[in-house]
Amino acid sequence: MAQYADIVEIAAPDQAQAGDRMDITVRIKNTYSSPIGIMVGGALEYGVSPWPGIAFPDPSTNVDAGVTHSFSGYFTMPDRKVTIHAYSYYYGADGSWHFDDEMTKVIDLAAVPDSEFGSIEIIGYARR
Amino acid sequence: MGGVYVPSQFGILFLPLAAVQVEPGDTLRVSCRYSHIGKAENVSLYAAVGNSGTFGFDEVLHGSRTISLPEDTSWNWHEGYVDIAITTAISAGVYDLYAKINGVIPRVISPTLHDVVEVLAETPESEFGEISITDYLKV
Repeated sequence: MAQYADIVEIAAPDQAQAGDRMDITVRIKNTYSSPIGIMVGGALEYGVSPWPGIAFPDPSTNVDAGVTHSFSGYFTMPDRKVTIHAYSYYYGADGSWHFDDEMTKVIDLAAVPDSEFGSIEIIGYARR
Repeated sequence: MGGVYVPSQFGILFLPLAAVQVEPGDTLRVSCRYSHIGKAENVSLYAAVGNSGTFGFDEVLHGSRTISLPEDTSWNWHEGYVDIAITTAISAGVYDLYAKINGVIPRVISPTLHDVVEVLAETPESEFGEISITDYLKV
């Protein structure tokens, strides 16, 4: 249970194909009675060590009391099922970031579709 | 005359393609570009020379070649070629050209390029018509 920075949702597709850019949103609610600084972090668990991070271009901001802020992040889908770990931190009176909450979401690897062709065109012809 | 449409800053441009001249014994190499998505597979790239008409394409000569496609998780362009042997089965004249992937029931078929292959008459065997003396002198 989060103390001040409650992760309420990880918005991401349920499945994706390897190599896809995955845009995700982590929604974090300030449950404190006044504005606080909240920071988001994330990592990907799929069998490699250390866990690769998730890029969040704007990872921290001040959030008013009772307000939920959406943090946008992205990563490249690996070649297997991945578990997203999202973390929240709050900025304490001691001037440090404090870990607060964690949420996970699994993204399955989408099956490759059957072979299909879009179009074909002749781009050259020459006597050999 | 066949041609290709290419995008430009002025819209779509039509670039006419010059005819290639071939004669029996030659090989015509047809280069193609095609878009693919999905699992890897081996398919047949096929091209034919003939005459395009109201009732379809009347093929005179064709060639095919097996190509190996990789797995494409998104639409990707690939290029490949197929050779057509020019034989005496085709008579002199100007012909059309098209290509497709997989034979009898095509998976995808190209636009026809009109009048792009000119087949020249076969060069005859060595033969003499006549001979005459043009000069004579003491050496």
